[in-house]
Amino acid sequence: MKRSSRWILGAALLVISHAATSADALCAKPSTGNGQVKAVIASIETLKKALSAEQRAALDRPFVRESAIKWSNLPVGIVPRAGLRLGDLDEKQEHAARRVAAAALSACGLKMLDEIRIADNYLKNVDTRKIGWDGGNYYMSVLGTPSEKKPWMLQIGGHHVAYNFTFNGGKDGATPMFFGSEPIHFNMGDTEYEPLATQSGAMSKLAQAIAKHPEAKLSGTFTDVVKGVVVVFVEGQMPKGGTDTGFPMSYPEGTTDRGILYGALAPDEQALVRAALESYASLPGAAITQSLVAAYESPEALANTYVGYSGQPDLAARGSYVRIDGPRIWMELVVQPAVADNKQLHYHALWRDKQSDYGGEIGAK
Amino acid sequence: MNRVASWLTLLYAAAGSLALAHKAPNSFVKLEFLAHTVRAEVLVPESELAFATAAERATEPFADYLQRHLSAETPQGAAWTLVVRSVANTTYLGHAYLSAQVELTPPPGASVRELVLLDDAVTHEVRNHVVLVLATDTATPEVLGALQYPARRLNVQR
Repeated sequence: MKRSSRWILGAALLVISHAATSADALCAKPSTGNGQVKAVIASIETLKKALSAEQRAALDRPFVRESAIKWSNLPVGIVPRAGLRLGDLDEKQEHAARRVAAAALSACGLKMLDEIRIADNYLKNVDTRKIGWDGGNYYMSVLGTPSEKKPWMLQIGGHHVAYNFTFNGGKDGATPMFFGSEPIHFNMGDTEYEPLATQSGAMSKLAQAIAKHPEAKLSGTFTDVVKGVVVVFVEGQMPKGGTDTGFPMSYPEGTTDRGILYGALAPDEQALVRAALESYASLPGAAITQSLVAAYESPEALANTYVGYSGQPDLAARGSYVRIDGPRIWMELVVQPAVADNKQLHYHALWRDKQSDYGGEIGAK
Repeated sequence: MNRVASWLTLLYAAAGSLALAHKAPNSFVKLEFLAHTVRAEVLVPESELAFATAAERATEPFADYLQRHLSAETPQGAAWTLVVRSVANTTYLGHAYLSAQVELTPPPGASVRELVLLDDAVTHEVRNHVVLVLATDTATPEVLGALQYPARRLNVQR
């Protein structure tokens, strides 16, 4: 059995029933640990026992800015990642690594990770350029010492996923989170996949609903997410950057060109705003994300939350873009041309928290 | 070609081929500080420029577009002279770019090593677009700063 297939099978075995919370209501079956720090720590300890000394050294990294910002949305051939490469693990180690992911993520967050990795395997088959497409090219890192009281981070990521969870930070730490999908929809074997179906569906419904309000249309053109990573290409040198070197970000202020205020929407449109933000926020386990959702959906926060779109609200064309922009929340989804076949499309999505990226534990350079 | 050089060539090629289709390409302004002027190479990706000029419905030459969107001034606000010497098509790490050779000259008495660069080429329209400003008068180019909408001013001191 292929490793990625084993990883998927592990998902089915590890999912157990928990009462769904409001934060991950879109996830039918929350995962093993549901983001509880104790469960995540226990799963990491089990993983470490299964690893060689060299692998443990790769997994453990210091909890400093340089490590924390080392995530990207580019393939590893361009922006090499640090950490434990999931594609190098034997079966026992892979099950242990999967338990870490299952402890930290909701069921839908885990499913999305699985399907995005499978999409990379799909790309590897259709695009033979040496770019690094590979479901094995996903990495796990533990930044700092796992603790129930002191701050530390768990990172899981590769080409189209960047999960950055900070535990015990000064602030809630579910972000920054990047996820994307190419292809948007594909078949592998007898199975159909659409990794971002929930998130793109929710954002598209929102965009289509608000498109009838002229003030919801954002000015300008969008060819990628706005607050993502930046790559510095200098001729004759390897590309630099491609990581979150721009953190901390600045955000739009004032009342113009941010879209339409939540309060100006009809109740059914407001419900679509909440559904869209929950579709992102339900990817981490509930313990990681529920306080953030509560903050985003407080009456005070919603009163100052804007939603805007550009391009086609149904997300059927490149340049289509949807954004939720509140006192803390920053969620984007953009439609780009695909890499393997530029007549096709692919998604990039980003969730940042204006106050608590990296749990508020990482400062400016 | 030795093994390391061969490996690097492969990586550069991979970077270029990826850049071609994946990450929306950025602009670059490379500054070289001379005795009396600053020589700049301005690289603007054609794909992103097309979005920007489509929005403006402009059909002007690229040099004229640059004159409208790129300038420099002293920290006190006195304008520098900007001359676009030449424009060429080029491929930069897999993307089609327009490359302009630009000369920036401070007003009499002003330091050539202290300026405010004002640039909203492409960024006036493309919200995710970033202009990276680099100094190339060192052995390794140094990133001086980045401009993204709505920011269009960068203080430069060398």
